[in-house]
Amino acid sequence: MRYTKLKKVATVGVALITAGVALTGCSGNSGNGGASAGTSDSASTTQQITLTIGTFNNFGYDAPTSTLQGADLYQKYMDTHPNIKIEATVAAKSDDARSSFNTALGTGSGAYDIQAVDVDWMPDMIKNADKLIDLSDVIPSDRYQDWKTQIATTTDGKLIGAGTDIGPEAICYRSDLFAKAGLPTDRTEVAALLKGGWDKYFEIGQQFMAANTGAFWFDSMAATYQGMVNQIEASYIDPDSGDIIALDNADVKAAYDQLTAAAAQSAGLMQWSDDWSAGMKSDTGFATMLCPAWIINNMKNAAGEDFKGWDMADVFPGGGGDWGGSYLVIPTQSKNQEAAKDLVEWLTAPEQQVAVFAAASNYPSAVDAQQDSTVQAKTDAFLNSAPVGEIFANRAAAIDVVPYKGSSWFDIQSKMADALNRVDVDKTTNAADSWSTWQNDVKALA
Amino acid sequence: MSSTVPSTKSPLSRRAKLSRFDVKASPYFYIAPFFIVFAIMGLFPLFYTVFISTRKWNSVAGDQGVAAAYCNLDNAGDCKGVTSWMGNFQWALSNPDFVEALRNTIAIFLLSSIPQIIIAILLAFVLSSNLRAKTFWRMGVLFPYIIAPMAAGIIFRQVFADETGVVNQIITGLGLPAVSWHANTFASWVAVSTIVNFRWIGYNTLVILAAMQAVPNETIEAAVIDGAGRVRQLLSITLPMIRPTLIFVIITSTIGGLQIFDEPQMYSEGTTYGGSNNQFLTLTQFMWKTGFVSTNDSNMGRAAAISWMLFLLVVVFAILSYILTSRISSGASNAPKTSKRARKAASR
Repeated sequence: MRYTKLKKVATVGVALITAGVALTGCSGNSGNGGASAGTSDSASTTQQITLTIGTFNNFGYDAPTSTLQGADLYQKYMDTHPNIKIEATVAAKSDDARSSFNTALGTGSGAYDIQAVDVDWMPDMIKNADKLIDLSDVIPSDRYQDWKTQIATTTDGKLIGAGTDIGPEAICYRSDLFAKAGLPTDRTEVAALLKGGWDKYFEIGQQFMAANTGAFWFDSMAATYQGMVNQIEASYIDPDSGDIIALDNADVKAAYDQLTAAAAQSAGLMQWSDDWSAGMKSDTGFATMLCPAWIINNMKNAAGEDFKGWDMADVFPGGGGDWGGSYLVIPTQSKNQEAAKDLVEWLTAPEQQVAVFAAASNYPSAVDAQQDSTVQAKTDAFLNSAPVGEIFANRAAAIDVVPYKGSSWFDIQSKMADALNRVDVDKTTNAADSWSTWQNDVKALA
Repeated sequence: MSSTVPSTKSPLSRRAKLSRFDVKASPYFYIAPFFIVFAIMGLFPLFYTVFISTRKWNSVAGDQGVAAAYCNLDNAGDCKGVTSWMGNFQWALSNPDFVEALRNTIAIFLLSSIPQIIIAILLAFVLSSNLRAKTFWRMGVLFPYIIAPMAAGIIFRQVFADETGVVNQIITGLGLPAVSWHANTFASWVAVSTIVNFRWIGYNTLVILAAMQAVPNETIEAAVIDGAGRVRQLLSITLPMIRPTLIFVIITSTIGGLQIFDEPQMYSEGTTYGGSNNQFLTLTQFMWKTGFVSTNDSNMGRAAAISWMLFLLVVVFAILSYILTSRISSGASNAPKTSKRARKAASR
């Protein structure tokens, strides 16, 4: 009797210990996503140096494959610099790269020598600028447009990131679906048709829906909202005080109302989902979508490079807008800072940015690259040979707002995406209820 | 190992003393590496997490002092600059996401663990009978287990895709209305549980099967002679005799079931991890979102607080399921006891 009781106690004990072991796997701040940094200590030119670089989605630096467009820049650099070996790691989504980079910065080890950073994380990077090295001595100050440099510059003048690409937005449209709906299909006529604000965009959407083609006007509310919120200078955070103003901001509410009023025009396909990818080549998918330059890579993957139907018009509701675009940063924990600096300078130099845009679709951020004839003359067969170089140059020139994204901007934005998806994708909540849930969510974030 | 026991009469030689020490102490040395590693990799982080959970700790900036007292945005002014070691816990407990994650975690745990173990017992019972090509069938049930949870998650996300998925194609093909596998809360629980069950049924089956093989044949033969059918054999002989194994299987699946992460994570569409209305957000996912997606000043502190509450939850459930299991199987083994008592009464 006593023996069995003891055994029971022992079993419970074992269970507790097992629970402890199993749990600590998650609770400790492990999850060190970074690979080992380079092994050599100093950057003399004759020494063999391994540089690690972490990017996400598609930066166009790798050798091209059947699903990934690229300019094969790493190989080119290694050919001219025989003592350098580049080891590149690509994360599927920027969120994945972000969390492992943050962990590496926090723990002080495990970061790559060079890390690609999305523009949306830059406020955090600025806050932790002491963990990143200053690039102002290698990056010419006139390489970029002012706003691109400003985002990466601290108040005391330190440049922590070298710009890679920017995301000027145009409108991509399916000319076959436009024809079905009786709308013009020529890209200059489409541009003229859509010229105006978001109200114009949704008004034409109404016309398109009235034609009953079986397709929808745009892909999803959350994706379209990205375009709208990036035109609001201070959306969720007050740039001066740093306070959260999201709940009382009339501009945000107006964008939300305008978008949810057009709910019937949305295909309700969540961005990056399998259904969204399938919708890209379906006749019952969607006729238009917001097109930042880099998204064309993803469209090609989803629809197939030889899919015919997509075209691009030189127009964007409400003027211009920038969505995404990135920087390369070097953490102070890198053991090959000098060599890494050289590579960053080379990768972000105008010539390389031109090569990337020619091979993939990441639009250059360097002014000289934007004015390069190769860039300006580029056409894209996938987009019915649209003159993408010329269109994006115009779209980049039209960018007139640099939205302020303070440190909790990202948290509030992902709650907003949830709110829109509840109405749009899940169709479980009406717009008013979803808005009040969002308000509670934002309050709880504080 | 020498195990000669020296006679107690003669005084112990040095050699004998050493050998005695060897017998007594060496097992502890053999087992020590595990406990040393456990203390470093398990125990230390466990308690360090307690410390972090009371601090304002950011993944990049690190420790910034005692956690801020939690206030809703409505009365944020009252708490500006006030600190409290409970701040991170208060934040989590007052967050609607936490409550929903708790609900989902328990629901998905019940929907996966219970069918999983019942099906595993039945499968093991079938497999333990005389089948042709035994090894083929036994390895067959283990097959899903070798698929990485990530891969299983991706596969099932496509199978359950709302518009293009196979399941909905079949359902609508039969003329029934399509199920919104991601938007509907209960449907999403079922889908996530299916992924868990798919992977774990085979593993549990094999563990239970191994235990069933160890049940002495004589006992079963005796039962057969007494006229017990297959069901009676399972309930009255096999299950009570494999009780320790059942406890192991149930407790491990309790711990695993409350901590599932990979499956709901990969099941999520786009970047809305856990669903846009938190339909299938689990506690581990909420912890991950808080610690690694959010950029809050105290993201690590909050995540540590959540992980501690999850730890307590697992402990409570592990104890509950242990008590429940011993109830059930000892309830079944009561049968021979009562009959013994009855026999005694009869002989009196």
